[in-house]
Amino acid sequence: MSKIQHDRTHHAKMATGVGDPQCFKGKAGKPKFKIGDRVSVKDLPDIFYTRTMVYTRGAVGEVVELVYESPPAEDESWDNTDKSEWFYSVVFKQNDLWPEYSDEFSNDSLETELSERWLESA
Amino acid sequence: MSDHDHSHKPAPMVDEVSDFEILEMAVRELAIDKGLFSQEDHRVWTEYVHTLGPVPAARLVAKAWLDPEYKKLAAADGVEASKAVGVDWVTSPPTQFGTPSDYCNLRVLEDTPKLKHVVVCSLCSCYPRPILGQSPEWYRTPNYRRRLVRWPRQVLSEFGLQLPPEVEVRVADSNQKTRYIVMPVRPEGTEGWTEDQLTEIVTRDCLIGVAVPKPGITSNAKRPIRKAIHPVQHDHDH
Repeated sequence: MSKIQHDRTHHAKMATGVGDPQCFKGKAGKPKFKIGDRVSVKDLPDIFYTRTMVYTRGAVGEVVELVYESPPAEDESWDNTDKSEWFYSVVFKQNDLWPEYSDEFSNDSLETELSERWLESA
Repeated sequence: MSDHDHSHKPAPMVDEVSDFEILEMAVRELAIDKGLFSQEDHRVWTEYVHTLGPVPAARLVAKAWLDPEYKKLAAADGVEASKAVGVDWVTSPPTQFGTPSDYCNLRVLEDTPKLKHVVVCSLCSCYPRPILGQSPEWYRTPNYRRRLVRWPRQVLSEFGLQLPPEVEVRVADSNQKTRYIVMPVRPEGTEGWTEDQLTEIVTRDCLIGVAVPKPGITSNAKRPIRKAIHPVQHDHDH
């Protein structure tokens, strides 16, 4: 019996000429959140790999854009690209993220992307 | 070693090869050996990378300053707007589907008099290479990546940029597939300028967000280097 071969070309087959994340368009279904929603970042277990920075965990921000659909980085890094999620661009106030951030600069903000599994309604 | 031994060594082609360069060669040769890609694939890729630089991104900003409709497109769809400056995020890279580092989702962050953007990748050093070229060394350092997200005004001060408290400083941390360039506010003193003249003052540092464009300034500020009085001696120095 031959060794099971992992198909290294499966991504190229579906993305060539289409682009990434464009190749995942339509695969995530209905987005849970919309622009303007207040969301908080879950502190999910992230053994081995994550692209959700620890400094965002537990913070509350506002969805400013539904940017694209894609497998979450936590799955994609292991080449598990069967399921896609909506990705959101979320804006946080800096003085919510950092304890020492000066009140003098209370307008300052930080924008970053999180996939749907990391977010819940705030 | 005596002088006699040194005189029989062939002259090196380069002064010094770093450990990283040796590692790259070893990994590349192994990958070619294992059939992950061919020598030709690598050559094509290297040639593509050498075509990249900051001018297309600068031109995108100049065009947006001159054309309100294009400015709206740039803010809404950076990938489509890139085509007007000759960059197709999908088909310009040799893979025809972007790269595992750059992907195909450019967003143009529009500054206003009340909102200043600055870009970082705190996780690694993601950068919009297809439209901006290779990142500067400082952008990849833990120094920049760790500090900009938390102390943005302090870090911007080190670049010579200070903003009033009323201006919202927004750090964009490109942690997933989106890559950002900043569209700064068009400066005073550029009335009647051509697209070429405007392109010249939108430097790479303006597009990252650590500088603002100024008439007459057409290059990035030099990073000061203070040479070591007692530099470290490597044993392969000549």
